[in-house]
This record gives sequence, structure tokens and C-alpha cells, in this order.
Amino acid sequence: MTRVLVVDDEPQIRRALRTSLSAHGYEVQTVGAGEAAVLAAAEASPDLVVLDLGLPDLDGIEVIARIRSFSAVPVIVLSVRERQADKVGALDAGADDYVTKPFDVGELLARARAALRRSESHEVEAKLVFDDIEVDLGRRLVMVAGTPVHLTKTEYALLEAFVTNPGKLLTHQWLLRRIWGPAYQVESQYLRVYVRALRRKLGDQVSAPRLILTEPGVGYRWIAEP
Amino acid sequence: MRSVSSERGARGRSRAVLVGIAAAALALGLALLLHPRPALGAVSVFLLGVVVASALGGALAGIVASIACFLSLSYFFTEPQNTLRVARTEDLVALVVFLLVALIVGSLVSRLLDERARAVRSEQEARLLSYFATKVLSGEPPDAQLRDLAASLVESLRLSRCEIHASIGERSFDAREVRSSKDERPASVVVLTIGGEEVGSLLAARDSAHEALDAADARLLEDAARQVTIALERAIKDEQIGRARTEAEVSEVRAALFSSVTHDLRTPLSSIKAGVTSLLQDETRFDAQQRHELLTTVLEETERLNRLLGNLLDLARVRAGALTPAKEPTALDEIVESVLHRLRRRLSGVHVRTILRDVPDVLADPVQLDQVLTNLLDNAVRFSPVGGEVTVSVAPWRSTVELRVADQGPGIQPDDRERVFEAFYRGDGSERPGSGLGLAIARAIVQAHGGQILIEGAPGGGTVVVVRLPVAGGSVGDPSR
Repeated sequence: MTRVLVVDDEPQIRRALRTSLSAHGYEVQTVGAGEAAVLAAAEASPDLVVLDLGLPDLDGIEVIARIRSFSAVPVIVLSVRERQADKVGALDAGADDYVTKPFDVGELLARARAALRRSESHEVEAKLVFDDIEVDLGRRLVMVAGTPVHLTKTEYALLEAFVTNPGKLLTHQWLLRRIWGPAYQVESQYLRVYVRALRRKLGDQVSAPRLILTEPGVGYRWIAEP
Repeated sequence: MRSVSSERGARGRSRAVLVGIAAAALALGLALLLHPRPALGAVSVFLLGVVVASALGGALAGIVASIACFLSLSYFFTEPQNTLRVARTEDLVALVVFLLVALIVGSLVSRLLDERARAVRSEQEARLLSYFATKVLSGEPPDAQLRDLAASLVESLRLSRCEIHASIGERSFDAREVRSSKDERPASVVVLTIGGEEVGSLLAARDSAHEALDAADARLLEDAARQVTIALERAIKDEQIGRARTEAEVSEVRAALFSSVTHDLRTPLSSIKAGVTSLLQDETRFDAQQRHELLTTVLEETERLNRLLGNLLDLARVRAGALTPAKEPTALDEIVESVLHRLRRRLSGVHVRTILRDVPDVLADPVQLDQVLTNLLDNAVRFSPVGGEVTVSVAPWRSTVELRVADQGPGIQPDDRERVFEAFYRGDGSERPGSGLGLAIARAIVQAHGGQILIEGAPGGGTVVVVRLPVAGGSVGDPSR
């Protein structure tokens, strides 16, 4: 049974999440404050943490930092639209994903599933298939609808980052560091250019994206299901 | 004719005496030339001299001239000549009568001229005060009024300086007219009072080239001062009325907005409550389809409420001057993509077309731009016919990036294309759903980014909203004005 720790100071949210998550077969523990959350994460070793950023005692980023010091448990953050900077800060501090309040429970569950999947499977398949996209990581080959596609070195690195982290929100900072190294000199606008090029080559349309979804101001997410 | 009664003091008196003597001397000279001595007909010439003396030098000159002429007559024109003695009694009587007549005529002439001067002056004063009164009623701003009053006082009273100072509550008024700065005589100051309280002063001064201000001038200044206080009182009252009217208007508008907002907040809540309570009814059995429909409505109304809340919060921030965009280089096409994806359920009833050209980044707050596009798409969906086409396009335009959202709805009349951006304006007043805030917020955000937003009509009907944002590093001019 997958154990989820829900952290929110609002009792109604805790109740709603407990009901939905248990109905989907998760074992739910709830706490109402940051300090208690860090303790519960340490003692109960949950498989997933759902953390509200608007806690009364501790800054959400602080909670994440503390949990990250002893655990790699996936953390999904709940935030309000107006606190964009907090959201990005949380992601940079180690949160895996976020959901904006008022949230769609279905969306939260989908993100939770994706986060759990990633944490469980440390083995990455050599060959990945998403719809009509085939990626052979071993031989660095990419095919779209059976036709080989040529990608530049950077474009391939970007694609690799995406497909090895499906469903995960990858921040600009994370992508820049991964592709250009920790001392990256490149701004996120350049990242955008590569994403655009990659999409074009993979046949992803802006009006109805099915491969790469943009979260403006935050990062990108590979949404194709394997 | 100058006002002769303005001559005062020792200087004035000695002048009068001189005039009297001079007139008498002239008369004597004339009489000696014209008449063989001794002839008492010289009396007429001397009488003329007295008249001239009174006219030119006033009553005192007339008296002096009368006496001088009397003496001259007695000396030069009566027996025995060249002495002041008078031989015949009838001559003495004639001389005395002459003196009396001369005195009377002199005083009459000087009084007549005085009256005339006074009348002229009264007319001047009346005209000046009438001008003042007109100014006070003119509705000009008070500072301009006071300046004009000071100037006209300087003009009509030949002042070298006129100053008006007043302060009422927090307002203060100052007017100053200076004609010359030669040696100034001591100034006359009239205190301005309103309701018994001293509020300021009116100051008038003449320079040494003119005579000092006299009692009549002082009276005129007092009348002028009274007019000034009337003008000031009026100015204060007008300001109070203006403020009260604005406050009344503001609270009226606020009340209207408040009731509009509470209505808009309650409406989706009513739908939500209705849906949920009906599902909670134990007695009723809903089949899966009905349940799904009710719950879908609840979900849609929740989202509508959330959008409205977002707009209200933005409106509050705009009003508080706190709508500062957190700008970063942003790709408009990414915003379009993100919003279209998030609103896909809301957009399901229309056909969305996108035309996204290569554009440079804009320096913008992505969350706020998201709000703008959300509002524009919300409007487009609301006013589109079912299955209608909504086109979102992004393209460069001169030094800006242009975002266009076009629908095939009824369109907006050219007269309304500016008004629709007002908060809570809803077009023809019909009960269309929508808070009336979407465009107002959109404009506030776009303008906070140094951009421009306007409405165009589409050739086949429908509305096109055009947003132009400066490319990172620039700012949009205002070609529409």
C-alpha cells in the first residue's frame, strides 16, 4: 500500500484529500503544520508528500529543504496562482511538481502517479515509445512515425532529459544545468529556442501539444504517456 | 479735472495762497492795462480773477484772491489813488460788497468744481466696484480673480503696489501687482474678515510721485476688500461643493459596483449549491448521466468563480497601485499554448485556430499575461456562436509583438470600443453573463507592461482584440491617440 503524507493547514483540504486518495487505494496520513511534516516524513517514511506552501509555521521551501536533507521522497506542492515565485522556489529547492489551488483532484492524482512511477523505477528502459515517437537511448536514434529524425547534439540532450523524466515538471534551471552544465552561461530564452526546434522536429503542435507542455515562467513537462 | 480736495497739508495751503495771489496779480495787471484809473469798472476783472483763483486753487485760493483783489481795488482804483484809504463812503460800500460777492462767488465756484470732481470720482468708484462684483461672480479660479482685482485697483487708484493675501483653512491665496518701486509712501492696509475672523489683508500703496491716499480712497479700498472677501468665500464654497459632489458620485459608483460584484459572486455559488444539494437529496435517484451533468455544472461554475476571483484580486491590486509585473523575458507563443491547454474544456464548444509566427521575447510577467489571454478567450467563447471560430495569433508588428484574439460573435460597436474597457461596463446593459472586469483588467495589465490594447472590428462581423507589447528593451508609442 502506497503511503501518502498530506500537509495542509486547512482541515477541509486535508479531509477532501484523505477521502479522494484513500478511495484510490492510498494510505493517507495528514498533518497541519511544517514542523510536524518534517517529523512525519522522517518517522513514517511516506512514498509521496503532498505539501501546501501556505503553512503557518514554516516556509514551504524550508520544509522541502529539511526533508531533502534525509530523503528523496517525491514532493508535490500545492500553491495559489498569485504566488508564482514561491512555486518556482519550491521546485528549485527539490519539489518534484506543483498543483495550483483550487486544484483538480484528477490532476493531482495523475501527477502523484507520475512522481511515484519515477521514484520506483530507477531502471530506465533503453528503448522508449510514446505514441509515434520512438527513442533508442542506447544508439541515440529517434524515429517519428517510422522515419528517422536528425537532432542536433543539444536537441537530443533535451529530448533525453524529457523522456527519462516523463510527466515531471522540469524547471528552466534544472534543464539548463543538465544540458549545459552547472556553470551554464545560457539564458532560458535559448532553452526555449531549442524546445521549439525539438517540437517542430517531433511534430508537436502548439495549439494542441501532446508531447511537450510549457509552464510559462517555470519550465517544461513531457506529457506523452509511454 | 483733478480732484482739488485732494490737496491737503501745509504744502497744499501755501500753494493755494500762491495761486490766489498770482490770480489777483494777473487781474490787477489786466485791470491796469484796460481801464483808465480810477474806474471801479475794474471790479469785473478782479471778480474774474477770483473765479479763476477758486477754480485753480480751491476755496482758500479764492479767499486769498478776494482779499488781494479787494486790497488792489482799494489801492489802485479808488480815490485817493495809491493809498488804501477810501475817500467816498459809497466807494467803501462798493468795495465791501465786492469783497462779499467775491468770497461767495469764489466759494461757489470751488464747491461746484469739488462736487463735479466728487461725482466723477463716484462714477469711477461705482464702475470699479461693479467690475469687481462681475469678477467675483465670473467663476474664474480665485487666484486669477484676485490678480485682476489687484490690477484694477492699481489702475484706478494709481497705486504703485497692491497686494492681497489671505489664508482660509489649508488654502492660501496671494496676488501682487507692482507698478513702480520708487520711494513708496506708507501703505494702507485693510484687514479681510470672514464671519468676524481675520483671514488676510489688502494692501495699497502709492509712490511719492502721487499724492497720498485720502479718506475717499480709503473707503474705496474698504469696499474693494469686502468684494475680495466675497470672492474668497465663494471660492471656498465652490471647492467644498465640488468635493462633496465627487464624494457622493464615488460612493454611488461604489455602491453600484458592490451590488454588481456580490451578484456575480453569488450566481455561480448558487449553481454550485443547487447542484450539490440536489445530489445530496437521499430521496432522489439520479442516474449516472444526470449525476455527471450536475457535477460538470458544479465544476464549471467553480472555475468561473475562480476566474472572477482572479479578476477581482487584480482589480483590487490595480486600485491599490500594486499591480507591478514581475517581468522576465517571455515567449508569447508559450503563454498562448499554456492558456489554450488549461482552458481546453472551456474552449470545447468553439473551434480554435492558432497562427503563431516567430516573435522575439517580450519583457513580461507570465502570470499576468496568462490572465490577459484567459480573459480575452473567456470573452471570445462567451460571445461566439456554437462551433464558431476563435483565432489566436501572435506576430511581430513594428517594434512590438502583437497578440490578436478574434471571434465571430456579434462584435462591438465603434462607439463602445473604448467604453468596454471600463470596469463593470457590460455593453448594452443587457444581462449578459460576465463580470465586466475582463477587459478592464486586461487593459490595466497591458498598460502596466508599457503596451497597448484596443478593439477592432472584423470584416465579417465579430470582434478582434489587439494587444501590443514592447519587445524586451522597448516601449509602445500611442499611435491611436
